[in-house]
Amino acid sequence: MTDPLLAPLSVAASGLHAQSERMLIAAQNIANARTTGNAPGADPYRRKTISFVSELDRQTGVEVVRVARYGTDPSPFKVEYNPGHPAADRNGYVKLPNVNTLVETADLRDANRMYQANLQVVRQAREIVSMTIDLLRTGG
Amino acid sequence: MQIFSIASQRAQWLSAKLGVIAGNVANASTPGYKAREITSFSAVLENRQVQMARTHPAHLNMAGEAERARFETREAEAERMSHSGNTVSLEKEMLEGAATVRAFRLNTGVVRAYHRMFLLGLKDN
Repeated sequence: MTDPLLAPLSVAASGLHAQSERMLIAAQNIANARTTGNAPGADPYRRKTISFVSELDRQTGVEVVRVARYGTDPSPFKVEYNPGHPAADRNGYVKLPNVNTLVETADLRDANRMYQANLQVVRQAREIVSMTIDLLRTGG
Repeated sequence: MQIFSIASQRAQWLSAKLGVIAGNVANASTPGYKAREITSFSAVLENRQVQMARTHPAHLNMAGEAERARFETREAEAERMSHSGNTVSLEKEMLEGAATVRAFRLNTGVVRAYHRMFLLGLKDN
């Protein structure tokens, strides 16, 4: 059985992992915000999505988080008229990724904030562990 | 010696509480997750009063089981719900976490004070 004092640490670790995955996805989307297809008329980069699900950890009795699914956004691509572009189709239109940089930036910030909250829990858990150990130190 | 037993239970309860808070924070962006909270410590103490006596070694060790009690949790009252159906309030969880650490510090302080008191009694004799 896991030590109940250390249970918050493992839960917060699952949260940290989930949020960093989310940041990774948002970063990929931002980096590929203007990635077009290789051939004329080809599909460009499609926005990636991530979703989480909570899962009861039977050993500790608390709910950890894990990544449920990596998916793609089925929304339509943006189209831009640019006949000189290598990926332009016969009519001169280029398909651009369905990434909204503003949405991704907001998502990145949100993930960052959640990551900090999880880190704070790690700090608190560490503090109560060290307080418990300190009980043994000051015996004399 | 009762004080040490209560303090030990209190420490267990506080760490379980921090575990629940950690679960809420970790699931702050999980769709449909409902924030949970632990039942109050007084309820834990009241439950401890009723125990079955063991008059034979083959009897179930209820007291021993209760020592490693799994604390009950319940769905917290939702103050707000986001579009995805998540009811976790990060601010509330942060405050609760800080309060838990503070209570834990008080708890260890009390244990240390009593321990010192016992040691004083021993040394003087």
